[in-house]
Amino acid sequence: MASMREIKSRITATKKTAQITKAMYMVSASKLKKAEGIIKSYRPLVYKLREMIDNLLASDDALSHPMLLEREKQVVCYVLVTSDRGLAGPYNSSVFKAFTAFVEENHQSNDEFLVATIGFKAYSFAKRMKFNMLNEEIINVRDDIQFVDFKSVIDLFTKEFLNGNVDSIVVFYNHFINIMTQNVEHVQILPITNGHKQEEKTKDEKDLKLIYNFEPNPQVIIDHLLPMYVENTLYGMILEAKASEHASRMTAMKSATDNAEDVIHTLQLHYNRARQAAITIELTDIIGGANAVN
Amino acid sequence: MKISVVTPRGELYSEEVDYVVVTSKMNGEFAIMKNHIPIISTIDTGYVKIIRDEKELFTVVINGVVEFQNNVCNVIAQEAHVGMNKVSAMDHLNTVREERIQENKRRNVDFLLAEKELKKSVKDSKAGNL
Repeated sequence: MASMREIKSRITATKKTAQITKAMYMVSASKLKKAEGIIKSYRPLVYKLREMIDNLLASDDALSHPMLLEREKQVVCYVLVTSDRGLAGPYNSSVFKAFTAFVEENHQSNDEFLVATIGFKAYSFAKRMKFNMLNEEIINVRDDIQFVDFKSVIDLFTKEFLNGNVDSIVVFYNHFINIMTQNVEHVQILPITNGHKQEEKTKDEKDLKLIYNFEPNPQVIIDHLLPMYVENTLYGMILEAKASEHASRMTAMKSATDNAEDVIHTLQLHYNRARQAAITIELTDIIGGANAVN
Repeated sequence: MKISVVTPRGELYSEEVDYVVVTSKMNGEFAIMKNHIPIISTIDTGYVKIIRDEKELFTVVINGVVEFQNNVCNVIAQEAHVGMNKVSAMDHLNTVREERIQENKRRNVDFLLAEKELKKSVKDSKAGNL
């Protein structure tokens, strides 16, 4: 059995760790609350935009845009959305796992696709796996993300797509369902699919929507709206990923704290036992000594 | 009529106004008054002027859509800022953007340095081989 002092020092060390994990848990909890609020206020914006695009496309069949056209998929670009920091439970590794499984299923070699990364962890993962990268520099995701942070990189994606260097862009990210569950999902953002034509609308709705006036004309508006829509969708996904990160870190830190408490409890038992043993030894020593004197 | 300006950070403001003037680099300028027919237009860089009781307020917008229907004007913008005149508002928006980008760059560097240092201290303390 370890000495009393050793056990004591282990208890203090574990207590300190528990303190840190507990603090991280609380920080994540408050950040998650904030992130959830942002998502909630953000979602209607994308829906509204989508609705406008659908209306616009439904109003005139002649309208088209390269972003709507499905091309033969020669080069696919995968965007991995992760966090900058670790200690977030399975948050990052689940994205990587899902991605590697997906690649194994759909591709023979690493030359068939490109990888773009958002977040430091994804960047180092892609470097380690020696994927072909689209972005050379690291794109960090801070906790207080803003639209400007990703503007340039999303512009890069759309430009690559429009230039024909990339035929499709698929995003891997953690979809935020609730605090306990986050699912890795992959969504194609370019070309824009699940379009307006599948949606069956009632006649009244259609009539209602046809009376819009477009200034200066529908084509100009669609040219402007579609890139905006793509940017906003991707930004929405990054927001979701951010909320998932906080949730994931929160649960991870919660269980870490619980585990630390368990460990402290067992160590305390060991410590008490060791203390008792020491006392017993002392007692027998004294009694033995007393007997010897008598 | 009502106007509501929404950005990715949430609703910027929503108020009752007399009429609005939408200006964009690409499409020029037009005003939307009460009972205008439903209209959709876009703004690449420009501003929305809001007039109420002879008072003007400018909302500079980068990449946005203006939609008007049922006397409600919805402005969806990627970035927007409200100011008393268009020059100062635009300047403000631009400086904020610029600062943010610079700060991001700086943080990137800091983060890399910190990561490097962490790796080094992990190696030095031999935390990996127990």
